[in-house]
Amino acid sequence: MKMYIGLTKRNLLVYFKDKQAIIFSLLASIIVFALYMLFLKGTFIDAIDTVLDRAPMLRDRINASDLDTLTGLILLTGIVGSAMITVPFNCLQTVVNDRENNVDRDILATPVKRWQIVLSYFTASGLSAMIMNGIILSIGLIALKMSGDIHMGPAGIIKTYLVVALGCLSSTALFMMIVPFFRSSSACGAFFGILSAVSGFIIGAYIPISQFSDKVQTVCNVFPASHVTILLRSTLLNGVLTDIDKSIGGIDNGAFTDSIRDIFTFRASMFGQKLMLSQMSIYVMAVFVLSLVTMMILYSKRYKK
Amino acid sequence: MTNAISVNNLTKKYDSFTAVNGISFEVKEGELFAFLGENGAGKSTTINMLCTILEKTSGDVRVFGHELSKEDDEIRKLIGIVFQNSVLDKKLTVGENLMTRGAYYGLNKKQIKTRLEPYMDDFEIGEIWNRKYEKLSGGQRRRVDIVRALINEPRILFLDEPTTGLDPKSRRIVWDYIRKLKDEKKLTIFLTTHYMEETADADEVKILEHGNIIASGTPAELKSRFASSKLIWYTDRAMSKEDIIKGYEWSYDADHYNIKFNGSITELLYRNSKVITDYEVIKGTMDDVFLNLTGREIGA
Repeated sequence: MKMYIGLTKRNLLVYFKDKQAIIFSLLASIIVFALYMLFLKGTFIDAIDTVLDRAPMLRDRINASDLDTLTGLILLTGIVGSAMITVPFNCLQTVVNDRENNVDRDILATPVKRWQIVLSYFTASGLSAMIMNGIILSIGLIALKMSGDIHMGPAGIIKTYLVVALGCLSSTALFMMIVPFFRSSSACGAFFGILSAVSGFIIGAYIPISQFSDKVQTVCNVFPASHVTILLRSTLLNGVLTDIDKSIGGIDNGAFTDSIRDIFTFRASMFGQKLMLSQMSIYVMAVFVLSLVTMMILYSKRYKK
Repeated sequence: MTNAISVNNLTKKYDSFTAVNGISFEVKEGELFAFLGENGAGKSTTINMLCTILEKTSGDVRVFGHELSKEDDEIRKLIGIVFQNSVLDKKLTVGENLMTRGAYYGLNKKQIKTRLEPYMDDFEIGEIWNRKYEKLSGGQRRRVDIVRALINEPRILFLDEPTTGLDPKSRRIVWDYIRKLKDEKKLTIFLTTHYMEETADADEVKILEHGNIIASGTPAELKSRFASSKLIWYTDRAMSKEDIIKGYEWSYDADHYNIKFNGSITELLYRNSKVITDYEVIKGTMDDVFLNLTGREIGA
């Protein structure tokens, strides 16, 4: 156990001591934030306005600060959703770097078991992602709380962190299967660039996935990260949407909040079928377990040279 | 002396390519054992197999009695390795690198610090403890690499071309440390190198070529078998003098004869002590051994 903890600590240090790597791992999230400041916020507000235009009598009933919280939380979902993809991958580049620089030989010649080596890479990457995303989520929630009510109790907040933890672990497990195929850190870095650019689209940070065709939605929702982002969005926005519903007083039978849920994607769609939150959770867990099993098989072959 | 390592018919194949071809040898406990050969001769592959990093294709290997492939965990506890290229983390400090590596052997902080204590002054680790590894000079990095390899108190230290890329001063310093370890700690040292002069202090040298051991022995034995020594006789050229050295391979340069010989030249000098008065004897080098065995200079 000491060996496994020692190796995990080393992998964590390697990530957190490289400040450039940390900034690059958050690049996609920084882009989401920058785009929000530039035009995404306007796009979100336009989408909400379109719904309100269909029922103008609701305008006076909805608190303006609730709409600000709503757009802010959608932004926060995009930022955290992107980071749940990019941070674990960036941390897992250690696997490729270790191989390229023969650092893995130094580890292989010690009494650390092969499975402990694999598990330590997984743990360190998952932990790094959880720490980074935890910090981002905390800053986001505090910032939003300071500008208005976020309508979340302790249970909701804990649930949010648990969803983020699930997202970090499932992304890490998935990427653990991919990184052994990179022979050089430059190839891995190039892939990371593509991943950073694409991640925002996959999770619907720029454009809600519901705006895409059924086929594109299915492709996006193959990735567990998009399901986790939807779960996160649902958890984060549930309070504020409930409050808006209360403000409206039921005169639209929940039509406004249902429309918001449709536009900003609160249910993943695969092959034209909308999935329930429970089904999405099961999908993420299933991919996670499958990835873990595949990961152990892949690495046991890799370490038998 | 007991055997630290016994290797019998060790082979490593990659598809149709044979990297190590059925080699056999023994390393005695406490000795400095050297593998000499060009890049690609099979030195690092052999070390990687002995250190449990690479799987052997076939052969029987025992490290301090533990069978390779069956008792790898036991072997790993007994070995330390200094790799050809630095394998420590560049962004971490020397202290962080050594503390994390110590944990690989199940040691706690206190145990690691106790084990490092002797090297803080001897290897001058104390003064660079808080410096990032990437900021160290080549010589300092090698010192840290050696200390890292000693953290588990190994019984055998593998040095895979430990001085490659170092300047002559750093090479000398590193070798001073290695000799100290062998003499004071009685550590068995397994060295691979392509620097001929580094094998001079070895108790046993094996020369590898294309995965085969083509010669072995002490440096003195190898030199006497495979390298000619040279007698330089400073004198004028004369027929009578050439009669004396008849039977030897010789040449004349400017003011001296170059006379090649194998074994001893004492008898010739004794018999002609009144004629051969101004001379010097130059012993054959390991470079000559390698040149004679492989037909080329190392690195050429």
